[in-house]
Amino acid sequence: MSAGPPSPPRPGPQQQPATPQVKALDCPKCGAAIVLRTFGKAETVVCDSCHSILDAQDPKLKILQTFQAAVGEAPPLIPLGRRGKLRGVDYEVIGFQRRSTEVEGIRYIWHEYVLFNPYKGFRYLTEYHGHWNDVSPCKMLPTPVLSVPPKASYLGETYKHFQTCTAMTGFVVGEFPWQVRVGETAEVTDFVSPPRVLSSEKSENEVTWSIGEYTYGSEVWKAFNLPGDPPQAMGVYENQPAPVHESVSGVWAAFAAFALALLVLMIGFAVMISGNKEVFRASYAVDRNTFKGETSFVTDVFELGDRTCNVEVETSTDLNNNWIYLNYALINQDTGQAWDFGREVSYYYGRDSDGPWTEGSRNDSVVVPSVPPGHYYLRIEPEPPQGFQHIGYSVRVVRDVSVFSIYGLAFLALLLPAAALTWRRLNFERLRWAESDHPMVTTGSSEDD
Amino acid sequence: MLRRLYLLYGMMVLATTGYAQYRGWSLNRVNELKNVPKSVRDNPGSYRSVYRSYHGYTGGK
Repeated sequence: MSAGPPSPPRPGPQQQPATPQVKALDCPKCGAAIVLRTFGKAETVVCDSCHSILDAQDPKLKILQTFQAAVGEAPPLIPLGRRGKLRGVDYEVIGFQRRSTEVEGIRYIWHEYVLFNPYKGFRYLTEYHGHWNDVSPCKMLPTPVLSVPPKASYLGETYKHFQTCTAMTGFVVGEFPWQVRVGETAEVTDFVSPPRVLSSEKSENEVTWSIGEYTYGSEVWKAFNLPGDPPQAMGVYENQPAPVHESVSGVWAAFAAFALALLVLMIGFAVMISGNKEVFRASYAVDRNTFKGETSFVTDVFELGDRTCNVEVETSTDLNNNWIYLNYALINQDTGQAWDFGREVSYYYGRDSDGPWTEGSRNDSVVVPSVPPGHYYLRIEPEPPQGFQHIGYSVRVVRDVSVFSIYGLAFLALLLPAAALTWRRLNFERLRWAESDHPMVTTGSSEDD
Repeated sequence: MLRRLYLLYGMMVLATTGYAQYRGWSLNRVNELKNVPKSVRDNPGSYRSVYRSYHGYTGGK
């Protein structure tokens, strides 16, 4: 749908600068003034008043076709005669045509603007739902690449086939460097390699190729100094550059390197840095007969050395279909600093119609973070359930353990951006190709349909 | 540009992970208190845990 010119441009004079030539003539049908901005270069010119397509090469402006413009035909977004600087070259808008194609009963409409510079010749701007393309005729013939789906090669770049459709011209105004007719049709084939699109346009007599580059509406507005804002781009266009310009594989390569570094870090800490040193171990029991009055007690003092690092408190019990709650406080004997935490340990098991089952665990561990070195003891206050008989448990304190959940979080932190970028890129490509002849995801339909 | 940002981000994640391991960070919820009286050692009942009075687990299938 980005097909531009059906005929190549004719180069303007190269030797001397010349001012744009403008010639005023009258329409042979309605007498309205006809302005020829490309005098000598345009093939046809359309009377803005009576919509007669006139032969611009004929001094008498022979009428080639007349057509009835629809009432309320939207005017071109860039008015004819508007001048602007596109890619450093001054151009004047001299022609406008509305074209359309029908796919599965839906009519898709786009607009094409003919630009002219007396030294550079013709250039084209196409617009579809706020997506613009800067189009110029190919300087050489693209070569087909045998593949499925088909591809084409042009100036060393390979373009993937996007869509082939029949385009019909529905409205024209201004001048055209070819014999334009309303109602004429052409087979348009687009090959894409964002941000470029390679288009062939096949009519009865000839095949022309053009190359387009995606252009943002804001650039067009700035180039032609147009008032207001350009129309909002809708959807994803066939050669629209992806928001993630760089290769996602580069990010995944970096992710793989970081994941490996994380593994090395984990092993290095576990083997060389983490002390994993047992500093205290004791066994206790709560018994129904002796569990009266104040039940809390303190352990012997143990030393936590080295540096500020974590402490793991492990609890092992002999629970059977029961639970126990243990209030712990790790207290620094010298400073009075304490870490207070409660641990519930429960273990249930049995058998039902589904077979044996278990729930919970007899063992528990908690890692107290960033405990400075010093002399510590534990205050333990057990809370057993009512009706208990005897629960035995042991407490083990280990200094400086590896916390693997932190590595898990780090892995997720590394994975998420790469995954998000990939998803964004894939979703963008899915939306791009959804409008093509080769959608990435096809919607299912039954054979009965 | 994006790859550079990711490289920078990844290095920050690795550095933070290394620092967290060295300083002994943990994901467990532990209540830190200051100035627990020394008398607790002789009279454990004078200290009351903020997690005390657990009402009991009623688990089991």
